[in-house]
Amino acid sequence: MFRKLYNWFDSRTGVQASLEEALYENIPGGAKWRYVSGSMLVFAFMTQMITGLFLWMHYSPGSQNAWASVYYITFEMEGGNLLRGIHHVMAQAMVCLLPIHLLQVVIEKAYTKPREFNWWFGLVLMKITLALGLTGYLLPWDQKGYWATKVATELAALPPLIGGLTQKIIVGGADYGHFTLTRFFALHAGVLPGLLIGFLVLHLAMFRKHGITAHSSPHRPDQLFWPMQVLKDGVACALLFAVVVFAAIAEPVELGPPAEPTEAFGAARPEWYFLFLFQMLKYFDGSLGFNTELVGAIVLPGLLFGFMFAMPLIARKKFGHHLNVTVIVAIVSAAAYLTWEAKQEDNYYLNHPDDTQSEAYKKSKRFHDEVGRSEKEFELIQQLVKDYGIPLEGPAVLQQRDPLTMGRRLFRRQCASCHAYSHDEYAIAGPPNPDATSDSPLNYGAPDLAHFGSVKWITGLLSNDADNGIRSESYFGKTLHIEGEMAEHVHETMWAVDVDRQALATQIEQVAWALSAEAQLPYLDYAANQEKIDAGIAHLNDDTLGCIGCHNYGDNEDGYVINLNGYASADWLTKMISDPTQTGFYDGGSENDRMPSFHNEATKLLTPREIELLVRFLREDRTLLEE
Amino acid sequence: MNEAKPEQHDAESSPVLETNERRGFLGSAAAITAAALGGLLGVGPLAIGLYATIMDPLRKKTTPLKHAGGTGVAGAKEGFYFVAQLGEIDSHVPRRFTIVADKIDAWNFMENQPIGSVYMRMQGEQVECFHTTCPHAGCAVSYERESQSYLCPCHNSSFKVDGSKLEGGGSSNPSPRGLDALEVDVQGTSVFVKYEDYFTGRHDKIAK
Repeated sequence: MFRKLYNWFDSRTGVQASLEEALYENIPGGAKWRYVSGSMLVFAFMTQMITGLFLWMHYSPGSQNAWASVYYITFEMEGGNLLRGIHHVMAQAMVCLLPIHLLQVVIEKAYTKPREFNWWFGLVLMKITLALGLTGYLLPWDQKGYWATKVATELAALPPLIGGLTQKIIVGGADYGHFTLTRFFALHAGVLPGLLIGFLVLHLAMFRKHGITAHSSPHRPDQLFWPMQVLKDGVACALLFAVVVFAAIAEPVELGPPAEPTEAFGAARPEWYFLFLFQMLKYFDGSLGFNTELVGAIVLPGLLFGFMFAMPLIARKKFGHHLNVTVIVAIVSAAAYLTWEAKQEDNYYLNHPDDTQSEAYKKSKRFHDEVGRSEKEFELIQQLVKDYGIPLEGPAVLQQRDPLTMGRRLFRRQCASCHAYSHDEYAIAGPPNPDATSDSPLNYGAPDLAHFGSVKWITGLLSNDADNGIRSESYFGKTLHIEGEMAEHVHETMWAVDVDRQALATQIEQVAWALSAEAQLPYLDYAANQEKIDAGIAHLNDDTLGCIGCHNYGDNEDGYVINLNGYASADWLTKMISDPTQTGFYDGGSENDRMPSFHNEATKLLTPREIELLVRFLREDRTLLEE
Repeated sequence: MNEAKPEQHDAESSPVLETNERRGFLGSAAAITAAALGGLLGVGPLAIGLYATIMDPLRKKTTPLKHAGGTGVAGAKEGFYFVAQLGEIDSHVPRRFTIVADKIDAWNFMENQPIGSVYMRMQGEQVECFHTTCPHAGCAVSYERESQSYLCPCHNSSFKVDGSKLEGGGSSNPSPRGLDALEVDVQGTSVFVKYEDYFTGRHDKIAK
């Protein structure tokens, strides 16, 4: 019955003959494990096609949507993380299999006459695969993809005359934007896979035409492709798939913070398999007297590729094949070495923890700091997405209203050249090696502003402790105030030799609570400490610690510096940052040690909105700014 | 199996070829026309697609008609953007400033967007201004106070505080030129900068 049906089907479709032709390929010397690399590559590509199609169903190119849709796939969609993970890992597996397949072909001399076309199609396939990797890296539109791809497209502009045009056409205009994504996506999901299929068909057709490059041997009889080689291929592909799935589960695919053209990413690196090209650029430093970057980025890789193209022809000459093998092994080894070297440079600080003064250490440290900062920014936006969802205008709009994201960026840009911010979670390094005693204007610093206005911060300010008191680097240690009235008062008067230290410590704690109550910081529990606050207010009014001789507080209006009413409150901080020389702060500026005005008549370093973000950041108040 | 196939192929196709040949001139004309038509049918859609794809990025984008025009600081010369007030620029440490302008991204028009950034410092009475894009491969440099130099995080390019290439120092410096200085125009206390992008990786500074 089944037989009859099959015969009917076969007589009308010729399926039997097709199957026979496909499967009964003779393999001289029999099936071998080492023949599996090509099938594995085909399988890897198929996996990419299938997972890619499903990713396509959920991806949306465009500046506002790209990151948002990839975020959705990765963190919200059921099974989305694994889907994207497999696509991500399999892409890398493909790039690993490529040189293996290529080396095999070269070493087994399978590229020579009459298989020239097969070799050339293979080279084209390799280029297409790498182009798929490059275009895919940008699509999530996160910081690392954005900045890494930017370098790649800058390189496209290197050739004289046509370079600028080429770049514009690839990028879709003068700047990165919607069209960069739509173009890269069309290339990644349409043009390149289409070309790949076309060339794969040709590659396989050539392969079938000439058969496998092997010789029959009396010890190992010939076998047909089916079933032994198919079984071996199948087992290898299944293993590959298992490894890829395992890797995708063990290390879930990541996403960086959304691309931000004006927030430079200081750890821009291409995907690891392009690192050798990245690293090679460092060697073309113009020391030969001419513009060598073009050579390093385009001419040399082009020449090497050209050589590979010419290999079947070179092989016809005497020793040509040996030359080819030597050069190919050299290229692959050099690429491996450069990749390793790039990794070593970036990880220098981890591998040489003691060499803190070397340039290599500092550079690598900066790289890792940037990676860490980027991870933190992602955590921040992830929390925002969980709390508020992604608005129509995209994730950047959400970030721009977030005091933690923006406050941190603004602090880094505008404040960190003097102030450190030693917060457990959002630490920002202050200026390096400041030395207030030096005459150089480049050696000053300012108080550490982490937890500014908190009980702990104020207690430290009123302490004479060498490591964490007013004259330490956390407060006035790096400023001219180290010799000022305030520091002298704390050291000589408050902490005078004959004072009752126990009682003083209690009073300071109470005053610190009273002052911090002026700030009403969202992370402190003032209600539970009302007694201390009341006692502190009494101390301030009675001038127990000698504060109101200089500072205004409550009814006392004789102070001339730093008003303590509303100390560290949002309003107070806004005024301080806007113009520290105004009345109630460093009156007229005579007591001001180099703190710039960030928003007054003469200077507008920060907009009122930016100052508000910064103020909320300093107060650790994550209320989003109104739109 | 491979050997059997060509015979089969010949047997099927040769009669067709014969009939074609017998048609003589008319047959050749038909063949040529068919080939040309086939080629044209394939090339046509490709050509128009490529044309649109290549031409659009080269087209200068126009601002919406009813938009008030320009970023509203009066007195800016053509191509110049308002960046800062004189008082904001330090004489020792270069500060980074963001250039804000209207931006067109494909189908979107957006007012007052950050479009780029520059480093500025006072050199006596003069304002010194550098593009933050590294002339090597387009990463963004940052000013490092400790070494008083501009450092690029990508391929180790480094520059002195005056923008010139930092030579020596052991590590390689692949930048083909110093940081790109931008033209500055001070009017009263307002600082305007002629902000434009330059080709990276070339010895000469050429505007894009």
